[in-house]
Amino acid sequence: MNQSLFAAALLDPDAPLPRGIIDPLGRPAPKRFAVYRNTVASSLIDALKAGFPTLVKLLGEEFFSAMALVFLRAHPPKSRILMLYGGDLPSFLEEFQPVAHLGYLADIARVDQALRESYHSADSAPLPEADFQQLLGQDIAALRLTLAPSLRLVRSRWPVASIFAANHAGGPAPKPAAEDVVILRPEFDPAPHLLPTGGAEFIAGLLAGKTLGESLDLATGPIDLAAILGLLIAGRAIVGVTK
Amino acid sequence: MSIQSKSLIIAGALTAALCSVATVASAEDAMEKCFGVALAGQNDCKAGEGTTCAGTSKVDFQGNSWKFVPAGTCMTMELPADGAGMMRNGAMEELMRDLPEA
Amino acid sequence: MFDYAQGLPAKPGVGYKPQHFQAILDNANPVGWLEIHAENYMGAGGRPLAQLRHLVERFPISVHGVGLSIGGEGPLDRDHLQRLRHLCDWLNPASFSEHLAWSTHDGAFLNDLLPVPYTMVTLARVADHIDEVQEALGRRMLLENPSTYIAFAETAMGEVDFLSEVARRTGCGLLLDVNNVYVSGTNQNYDPVGYLDAFPLHLVGEVHLGGHHEDSDDHGKRLLIDSHGAEVLGPVWELYARVIDRAGPLPTLIEWDNDVPDWPELAAEAARAARILEPVG
Repeated sequence: MNQSLFAAALLDPDAPLPRGIIDPLGRPAPKRFAVYRNTVASSLIDALKAGFPTLVKLLGEEFFSAMALVFLRAHPPKSRILMLYGGDLPSFLEEFQPVAHLGYLADIARVDQALRESYHSADSAPLPEADFQQLLGQDIAALRLTLAPSLRLVRSRWPVASIFAANHAGGPAPKPAAEDVVILRPEFDPAPHLLPTGGAEFIAGLLAGKTLGESLDLATGPIDLAAILGLLIAGRAIVGVTK
Repeated sequence: MSIQSKSLIIAGALTAALCSVATVASAEDAMEKCFGVALAGQNDCKAGEGTTCAGTSKVDFQGNSWKFVPAGTCMTMELPADGAGMMRNGAMEELMRDLPEA
Repeated sequence: MFDYAQGLPAKPGVGYKPQHFQAILDNANPVGWLEIHAENYMGAGGRPLAQLRHLVERFPISVHGVGLSIGGEGPLDRDHLQRLRHLCDWLNPASFSEHLAWSTHDGAFLNDLLPVPYTMVTLARVADHIDEVQEALGRRMLLENPSTYIAFAETAMGEVDFLSEVARRTGCGLLLDVNNVYVSGTNQNYDPVGYLDAFPLHLVGEVHLGGHHEDSDDHGKRLLIDSHGAEVLGPVWELYARVIDRAGPLPTLIEWDNDVPDWPELAAEAARAARILEPVG
């Protein structure tokens, strides 16, 4: 038995069965082999369903499952750890013709994936309030903030925060708008938050290791810095300060 | 803008932020934090649904055999197909996504 | 070498599911230990690891790997071995076990426990891999008998002989999945009782019990599927009682991974195993 042929036949229903696969009486056993094909497919579809709940709501279970089957055959997991399977799904959706009219799906998939990454990220303790108070007396623009490992940023030209809210929190129907979200995990449950104007540029600057002053410069147009910092502090996402 | 005046702006914003947020310390690993939802697929050692389901189905999405139609909440989302009118300030921007862990 | 028969208590255990966390802390009776799938606790942090920190203080833990691909043609994944080592160093589990199966090929993880033909070539490869695992982890492992649906023309020896010889060469112990014996026996036309009578029970450090479903093969013959999605069925309980009668009480896991029931129903399955364990215990 050759495991290359066995593996190829698991992912391609048109592939011939490897030679020598038989039933106990020595007869060919394609239906028995199908048990393995089905376990591979159905277990990975289940993993994708669990990982992309917003996509499942948007597309419905039947469509999602059929699409997931096409995806998993082209992109089987590279890792033995299933919890983050599906990292290639957003870019797959951008090329998947049957959803070409739903341009926002790829970015919604990015939000779902970022939530899961956040859920499994390393724990961190927020900066104590006394430490924040001490910063006020310093040359604060020259300082750099360390953000929580569980923080994720997703920028989009689609109303991804509104679409997410409409599907999970009974939010109103989304209106056309570009929305950026930051995913914060104050304890163990990550949630996406809509960022005000300039927020994504500012946070991206901090993530890239720029100073507070440099990160502020990255924001174009008016920026509500108090709101952005308030969001990060409430989300326990500022975990350190360095010069 | 000088670094001093930038520091003033940032300090003002931080002061306002600290006033608006009640920072509550939580006990590390408090038991109640552990109650709650589990996200994501799990590794298992069970077999699937027997001999007749997804694994043998032949789906060809490029040919004419793709028969599925989205039937979820996307049916009620009226957003322009190409995202027209949703650009920031009408300008094209590099999209930053999936930034690596800090 | 560590005595794994003393590692896990000879009581019922269950496969840990996060939705049962609170119920287990409230009252786990009659469950005396928990099994986790190693790969679900290889994230960097968050709730899964926090729950495990609480559980490991209260229960003996069995770490059951599902992704090592010991039967694979290629070499073992060193990074994955390191992750297992890290997890075992943290938890100091009462047992570590893996499967006689393969699941990864050419960098693709297929997420299924795939069968190997029983030949001298496979035997040498599996034994080498187990040597490597035991060396990397610094502990003895248990190898689990598989549930299988197909046979291989090249197979040259019986499964019990294969497992016994692997254990002899490597010093590993065995995990006896009684449901797998019943499933594979039905699917491969052998008598489960004869299989168990030949099985080296003195090497068994843990027993698995689980539910299966019924299907049919290419010729309409009954084909059992190891679905872990229902209660343990009568014939499997009978085989289990036979094992315990011969071997004495053994750590016994109820595996329920699909359509997972509420805690009371799972605990009732564990209680049924406890009643079989107790008369001889």
